[in-house]
Amino acid sequence: MIIRSLLLVVPLILAPWPSSAETLTTALSTERVSIESNFTGSGVVIFGTVERDQQTVARGAPYEIVVTLTGPLRSMVARRKERVAGIWINRTSSELPRVPSFLAIATTAPMADVAGNRVRARQGLGFDMLPTRGLPDALPPVRTEFDGAFFRLMQTEGLFSLNEGSVEFLSPQLFRAPIALPSNVPIGWYTANVYLFSGGVLLAKTTQDFSILKGGFEQAITNLAHQQPALYGLATVVVACFTGWLAGVAFRRD
Amino acid sequence: MDLYLPIAEMPMNVFLLLGMGAAVGFLSGMFGVGGGFLLTPLLIFSGISPAVAVASVSSQIVANSASGVLAYLRKKTVDLKLGLYLTLSGIIGSAIGVWVYGALRGIGQLDVVIALCYVAFLGTIGMLMSVEAVRAIIAKQRGTPLPVRRPGQHSWIAGLPLRVRFHRSRLYISALPIIALGASIGFLGALLGIGGGFIMVPALIYLLRVPTTIVIGTTLLQTLGTMAFTTFMQSATNQTVDVILGLALMVGGVIGAQFGARVGQSLRGETLRLLLGLLVLAVGLRFAVDLVATPEEFYSISRMGGG
Repeated sequence: MIIRSLLLVVPLILAPWPSSAETLTTALSTERVSIESNFTGSGVVIFGTVERDQQTVARGAPYEIVVTLTGPLRSMVARRKERVAGIWINRTSSELPRVPSFLAIATTAPMADVAGNRVRARQGLGFDMLPTRGLPDALPPVRTEFDGAFFRLMQTEGLFSLNEGSVEFLSPQLFRAPIALPSNVPIGWYTANVYLFSGGVLLAKTTQDFSILKGGFEQAITNLAHQQPALYGLATVVVACFTGWLAGVAFRRD
Repeated sequence: MDLYLPIAEMPMNVFLLLGMGAAVGFLSGMFGVGGGFLLTPLLIFSGISPAVAVASVSSQIVANSASGVLAYLRKKTVDLKLGLYLTLSGIIGSAIGVWVYGALRGIGQLDVVIALCYVAFLGTIGMLMSVEAVRAIIAKQRGTPLPVRRPGQHSWIAGLPLRVRFHRSRLYISALPIIALGASIGFLGALLGIGGGFIMVPALIYLLRVPTTIVIGTTLLQTLGTMAFTTFMQSATNQTVDVILGLALMVGGVIGAQFGARVGQSLRGETLRLLLGLLVLAVGLRFAVDLVATPEEFYSISRMGGG
């Protein structure tokens, strides 16, 4: 009798344990985007599979995927204009230390349906939960008017984007998430995070690195400008004088 | 066809760049000015950051003035000594300008200072030019010559101490106003991304009474020297000169200037000055409207320490 009731209890205890959860495997369509002289924007596709084994419990809710592509962190400052003596000038400002220079979020469903605020706040997931000062916390971050302006302007510039429903399942296990990279995409190292949710619970997460770098010629110019600025300046002046001289000779009329 | 600008870190249409260079080059050839005061705002309006725009336009001005100086040297209408005085003082002004530029960018007040300077200088110069040209046109139609001051009649400015003789310009005047003029134009050039020809030419004619034939060649020499130094300084300290952007503007600019020069020669001097005056005034007004009108967006974001 005792053994029988124990057997009934066992599955109930095992059910929520992560040891029996799904395995998430992801891959990027490319690990390096190179910016050449004809670059006008690009894209990257993140593929993934949700692997299950015999011990994996059946889920009542469907799988939901959230993919984030985060650009290099930068210190930004938001400023507000005010009218002073008839003209509009920047008066008040607020620093946003270490915020992403690029953030694309793609999901299978509306963010609010994927997970609750508490779960997303822990992960800093979503524009409303991304911390602008410090690290993710159990509580949603407090937003100032400057933070609001930052998120709005970054979206206007196309550097922050949220595409709810753009991640599609090709089969019950296999999904793909296309992410567009606009022409003004910042250069540097990126992180691609993939979150697997079911019924509002985070089941698994993967992290992958990804880089956007300038092509050979563009990089050579940038390197010269930053590493040998005096030489670069001198070369620019020589090129300019030569162009002017060439034009003077070519169009000489006397 | 888009071209990726490596320092500006954004693509831009090649034909748009060449077209802007050509249009400004056309006007500069027609009026004999550098055109930086038009090109820098145009680039900023098309989405290039003010930092990169101001610095890259200085390289385009170098190309433009280099071809001009060569032409005037051949005609021997350049006062080398006066040009040297103006250039050396211009370099000092430019060094201060590059430094002030960086400091203002750091505290987020660069844009408003640039706009205020554009309004003040373009407004004043444009107004003076237009009024002067209209009076000349009216006088010509009535057949009454304007009173002309003869050489030898100097204003009090020329009589300050430290007098220097400039043989080519037939002047014996104080070096102080020359140094002040050169330094202020070098300063404004670095801060605003303009060559300053449209300020320098009237200042040399009306304040220092330099002969009109010498003025343009000498101004171009000063512009060449000062802007070459500015390009070098902006590269070395702010690293914001985009050589690809500069090159596209140069190519468009030098071609446009040739056609502009031909149109300019077929127009009368007063008409030309009136048109230039109105153009300068219009750019100044555009900046004034932006300063006073209630903006659509009250907030702006930028990288810490500029960018």
